[in-house]
Amino acid sequence: MIGRRDALRIGATSAMALGSVAAGLWLHSRDRLVDTHSLPTIKDHRVPKPAGAVDMVIAHGADPTLNVRRAIEALGGMGRFVKKGERVVIKPNIGWNRLPEQAANTNPDVVAEIVRQVRAAGASKVWVTDASVNTPEQCFARSGIQKAAGDAGATIVLPEARAFREVDVAGRILRTADVLYPIVEADRVINVPIVKQHGLSGATLSMKNWYGVLGGQRVTLHQSIFVSIVDLAVMVKPTLTIMDATRALMANGPTGGNLADVKTMDTVAAGTDEVALDAFGATLLGLDPFKLGFVIEGLRVGLGTPRYKDLKLVELGS
Amino acid sequence: MKYVVFTVLVLIPLMLVGWVVREGRSVPPTAPLASAEFSAIGAASALAKPDPDDAPLLALFEGTPGGVKAKGMPALYDEKRLFDYIDGAAPLYIDRHFRKLAAVEMATTEGADLTCDVYDMREPENAASIFLSEKSASSRTVDDWPQALTGPMSFVFRKSRYYVKLTAFDKKSEAALPGLALALRERMQ
Repeated sequence: MIGRRDALRIGATSAMALGSVAAGLWLHSRDRLVDTHSLPTIKDHRVPKPAGAVDMVIAHGADPTLNVRRAIEALGGMGRFVKKGERVVIKPNIGWNRLPEQAANTNPDVVAEIVRQVRAAGASKVWVTDASVNTPEQCFARSGIQKAAGDAGATIVLPEARAFREVDVAGRILRTADVLYPIVEADRVINVPIVKQHGLSGATLSMKNWYGVLGGQRVTLHQSIFVSIVDLAVMVKPTLTIMDATRALMANGPTGGNLADVKTMDTVAAGTDEVALDAFGATLLGLDPFKLGFVIEGLRVGLGTPRYKDLKLVELGS
Repeated sequence: MKYVVFTVLVLIPLMLVGWVVREGRSVPPTAPLASAEFSAIGAASALAKPDPDDAPLLALFEGTPGGVKAKGMPALYDEKRLFDYIDGAAPLYIDRHFRKLAAVEMATTEGADLTCDVYDMREPENAASIFLSEKSASSRTVDDWPQALTGPMSFVFRKSRYYVKLTAFDKKSEAALPGLALALRERMQ
């Protein structure tokens, strides 16, 4: 038999238990709301196109530095894209423990010249970063980019754990992602991919280069590679893309290593339409851009056009 | 009886609080892999754990095969981790029943660096298949060794269930590749 006093104790304890349940459920649901609604998103880094401005430039020549300089000049100068005081992140491909000659990473001279141009335009901060596939310290050093970009005045950001911020991607494959912080904080973003054959996607060019801002998820992304490539391109929306085809890795990409797989192209292409640039890059690899899944997907979602020759295009010879 | 009831009622809120702390305040189900995990790429401890089947693979790097020494423990990659080392090339291997990769940076006695990647493809025919698929049009065959190809800064070969890719970074390490390849071949069953 339970007495009156015991009944009061049981009642009080039950009330505490129920209160704890309610508090626990409230905390749980509140945290889930915070997780899905309070994360930062990546801003649109594009700038309006001035009337009559060139859309895309292809520059040929043996000097990659000069190719970059001429391509940017033909687009209207770096001042079209970067204003005084802005913070700019430059995103090359520094994914691999490879030398520049092996053409797995962006050419360091191309990156260095972009850093100089951005600084000359008045940027207050210039980051160079990538989430390397191989050991980052080796990739940044052996690619030559750490020294070239550092000497040109850039701040190098290695993909350490503390360099990532969780953002709301709102993509079809990823809802959230850990992204290198300069991509989240910068006012302007410049994509600097290299032209490479790629075992799974056919080619790795502008849009695929955004895999290199993420921590983790490579297996997940590769399961629906064309959709995820375009998801990421929609997520970032760069200010400018400068595609390095000084050397192109024609086979056994993305890793490469054998110089027999490398072809000297002596070309740099620049513009604001990543789909157009990827279509041009595909032709350098001997591929039909209309047979590349991510180019077609980019066209389908309205990201750009693979018909780059229909754009206001300038081609500069050597 | 009443003590049992008290105990149960006191334990319930404690368990609920514990559950909330564990589930409600930790990584949500849709969150990606932790950045810390990514940052450990390249560190053997964060990669695939060695199992008894890896002993022959790891034994390949003991000592100084061909006068070249491993600079650290080989990093092991299994099917789930292979994307973390070779990205989009991984499906080519996985489709051919890849088992495990041992990747290590090595150095010659002169201090010239090179990388050595040994893929365990489970069966010789799988190793032969990936060897053919990655054959570069401009690679050169090696005299008296039809299962080997060489190119500038590169030497690849297959032996039994293994497919091996050696990559140099300068002329000194390039000169060491054939010797290392021969020494590794000798060690492979």
